[in-house]
Amino acid sequence: MMRTLRTASLIAAATALLMGTASAETIKIGVNEPLTGAFAASGTYVVNGAKIAADEINAKGGVLGKQIELVIEDNKSNPTEAAAVAEKLITRDKTPVMMGAWGSSLTLAVMPKLMEYEVPMVVETSSSGKITTTGNPYIFRISPPSAIEAAAFGKIVDKLGLKKVDFLVINNDWGRGAAEDFGKMMKAKGISVGLVETMDQGAQDMSAQLSKLKGSDSETIIVTAAVDQLTLLFKQAAALGLKKQIITTGGSQNPDQIIAQAGAAANGTMHLTTFLPWFPDKTPNPEATTYFVSEWKKRGFDFAGCTESFRGYDGIRTAAAAIEKAGKAEPAAIKAALWDIKLKGLNGDIAFQKSGPAGKESGQSQPNVYLIEIADGKVAMKDL
Amino acid sequence: MGELFQHLINTLVLGGTYALLGIGLTLIFGIMNVVNFTHGILYTFGAYVMFIVVQKFELNFFVALPLSIASGWALGALVELTLLRPLRGSDIDTTMLVMIGAWIAMQSATLWVWGGVAKSVPTPFPDAPLEIGPVSVSWLRLFVLVAAGALIVLTYILINRTRLGSAMRATFQDQDTAALMGVNVNLIYTSTFALGSSLAAAAGALLGPVYVVYPAMGDLAAVKAFAIVILGGLGNITGAVIGGFILALAEELGAGYISSGYRDAMGFLIIIAVLIFRPTGLFPRAERVG
Amino acid sequence: MKLLLSIVVVAALAAVPLWLSDPYLLNALITTGIFVIGAMSLNLLLGFTGQLSLGHIAFFGIGAYVSALTSLGFSVSLPFGLHVVHEPWPPLAGFAIAVLVSGLCGYLVGRLSFRVRGAYFVIVTISFAEVVRLVALNWVELTQGPLALTSIPPMQVGFPGLGEFVFRTKLHNYYLVLGVAVACYLLIARLVRSHVGRAMRGLMENETLAVSIGIDVTKTLTLAAVVSAGICGGAGSLYAHYIKIIDPEVFAFINTVTMVIMVITGGKGTLAGPVVGGLIFGLMPVALRPVMAPEAQWIAYGSALIVILFIMPRGIVPALMQWFPRMKPVTAPGFAKRGVEESA
Repeated sequence: MMRTLRTASLIAAATALLMGTASAETIKIGVNEPLTGAFAASGTYVVNGAKIAADEINAKGGVLGKQIELVIEDNKSNPTEAAAVAEKLITRDKTPVMMGAWGSSLTLAVMPKLMEYEVPMVVETSSSGKITTTGNPYIFRISPPSAIEAAAFGKIVDKLGLKKVDFLVINNDWGRGAAEDFGKMMKAKGISVGLVETMDQGAQDMSAQLSKLKGSDSETIIVTAAVDQLTLLFKQAAALGLKKQIITTGGSQNPDQIIAQAGAAANGTMHLTTFLPWFPDKTPNPEATTYFVSEWKKRGFDFAGCTESFRGYDGIRTAAAAIEKAGKAEPAAIKAALWDIKLKGLNGDIAFQKSGPAGKESGQSQPNVYLIEIADGKVAMKDL
Repeated sequence: MGELFQHLINTLVLGGTYALLGIGLTLIFGIMNVVNFTHGILYTFGAYVMFIVVQKFELNFFVALPLSIASGWALGALVELTLLRPLRGSDIDTTMLVMIGAWIAMQSATLWVWGGVAKSVPTPFPDAPLEIGPVSVSWLRLFVLVAAGALIVLTYILINRTRLGSAMRATFQDQDTAALMGVNVNLIYTSTFALGSSLAAAAGALLGPVYVVYPAMGDLAAVKAFAIVILGGLGNITGAVIGGFILALAEELGAGYISSGYRDAMGFLIIIAVLIFRPTGLFPRAERVG
Repeated sequence: MKLLLSIVVVAALAAVPLWLSDPYLLNALITTGIFVIGAMSLNLLLGFTGQLSLGHIAFFGIGAYVSALTSLGFSVSLPFGLHVVHEPWPPLAGFAIAVLVSGLCGYLVGRLSFRVRGAYFVIVTISFAEVVRLVALNWVELTQGPLALTSIPPMQVGFPGLGEFVFRTKLHNYYLVLGVAVACYLLIARLVRSHVGRAMRGLMENETLAVSIGIDVTKTLTLAAVVSAGICGGAGSLYAHYIKIIDPEVFAFINTVTMVIMVITGGKGTLAGPVVGGLIFGLMPVALRPVMAPEAQWIAYGSALIVILFIMPRGIVPALMQWFPRMKPVTAPGFAKRGVEESA
């Protein structure tokens, strides 16, 4: 970690020297991510993705003729710290725009600070519906809340021939939200919903829940959890002889890590994901995807992290595009500009639509959602 | 009916590992009167040693297991010598806080060195589970159950049938008298802490491959171990074993038949209930260790 | 001498915003102050009765939730067809109810767990906190579970005839927290110097003796638990109205650990201990943030904890009093010994 930080700052310093001029005059973008604590792994991926975007932008001359500088702070996976970090980024570092804060509770804790200082934030990962519906006009989200994911899945669900589904979700805003929104969508499509089981964040043994699901009369289980728990779930489901169809949601699956760690137990599982690093051709922006994936590999990071880190990459590009459009690095101008930008993200066009109470809407972008399948230890697009 | 049997099998497998976690902690708690917050990190340490030996040095799973246990012993002895021995005679709160400091520092060091991404450890056991009628269980978990049982029996023999064990039991009963009788109390403390730590590392090494290995994996395990120790009574090995199975049963049935959201609450509710009706635990503090 | 010192310290703290305008540091001082109040309440139990509560965050969280729900309103269905609808009340009412409800929980836990001592008490309190956390997580209709309670209004106080005062800015909240902290400090000081306080310390020193001279153990300990929980609930209420969002993460074990660290490093059983320990360990992360990598900050934090306890096993304040004997207070006759100095 220390090493990558140091290397990054060395690279930044070197580029600044090469560019000659703008070393003192940079445009800062605040990055508020969990680098220690429960979400350390994911937060670190997002930050590494963000650095790729910053280096790419700077190599092309920066924005408004200046280099951009990421001010990266660790929110310790703790909402109180996330709010304190926002305070620091805004008042100390004077960042005119920020990106953060991975988990929904972390983002929610930052939101009052955005209102207080009137600084916009690009939300790259959080999925809670509340973030864009409570009337915070400084929020611009590029990740899909579960309602959008469910609606996207609704367009293809008929082809899967589902009859009755059970849910097994992580017991937080993300899992609960998914169970609710996907449940509604399923019912509207005439698919019956059976059990809704939860597992604690950090729980390692889900045998009890899986044993219960094994005994139900559904043929499909919809699972929402991050990669580590998914890996455990697939292994434990296999050990229990649970042979139902499993579809995961939420976009934090890292299918390669699942294949590497769960082995044969992952075969036949389907995943709703928002990024396709395996098939750059099938993404909306093949050139950028190829560049991002090769840059990610070049820096020696685990390929499995791509499905998480692309959000940091897209988030920083979104912020930079808004600064460029605003013509100056000031919060109010950037906030106004965020409504007008349109750029090709790695998972679809990033353009913000209004969401939430009239007069103080938050921005929400509509990313693409794909269904992939793991077959014979490889990721494949699900043929429909 | 099949579901109930499956829950009972799960209980057996889970309970075995809970018991292994519990006995290490109950020994340290009972003999040394130390609230050992490094128990969870030693569990994590055992799992990482397993991961390193199997993945990086590409040695066999069965070679890695004793190596993990030995490393746990060594680290435990080191912690005792450097952090606890200088504070001998201090308040229980002071030693507890030093253990908390060690836990925070060691867990963060693990994160620093290995990163937060979870690792998995390959094992020589087949992926396909053993299926008997409606119930099924993985071979790896069966092995874990057997190994845990063997380690528990070995610990029991060590405490009850060896010179070191009788010195430990004497220290547990009365430290001053034991010292008068020529027992080297410092040595006993170091051995006790090392033994308890090696059992935590063993639990981590066994469960790391079952689950995944990451820096904070020991936190939940440590909380459960504390619960088991209290259920079973301080310093009571048999109690810890029974406590481990009771906790596993409560969690399984709680999640299976009541609500999975309250799965982890079951153990704690039992503890509160037990302490209301039997304030010294299900099995009162043993007069002797064992 | 000691009174003078206390006045100087309070005046110095009150003057901080005059020269410190950095909102980031002010924010750190406010959150630290809130946790210091929690630590003072923990000290009442740990330092003056010898009972270690490792679930103290439960009272803090209950206070935060009760206060937030009182001021936001809620609607829940209960068994037997009951349906409760609560319209929003002012935040000050939330604060008062938070203190009462937390105090009541303190009473229940106190009655229940003072039947058990030592390690057993530790585990009962951990269990209690975990159960409360899981209720907050799973009773979605009331607490919104993991979806969090958001848009919690800032604290406000009404003065008859003068209108409402809303604690909107950091400066307002700084003085609010400082004021509550001083009030709690005085309350605790008064309590431990009273007859009941002597009974508490008597119990900690020598329970058999204390009982033989007619001290009612359960009553004394329960009173300490009620006051301690009530104060901690008040701190939770301040937290909710300052941070403006709460979710079940507030019950995280690390928050209890933070309070325990503040009390024991500062010196348990001394009135000033939690304040000194609290300021050091509350502000240390702020000081470490710019100088090292995130993981290293935690390593430094843990190591600092160990080093302080190695040098001063009984905490900073008792050690200072030993090194500067003139500061040593007059000890209460009879029971004063081993780590129970009374000080300001």
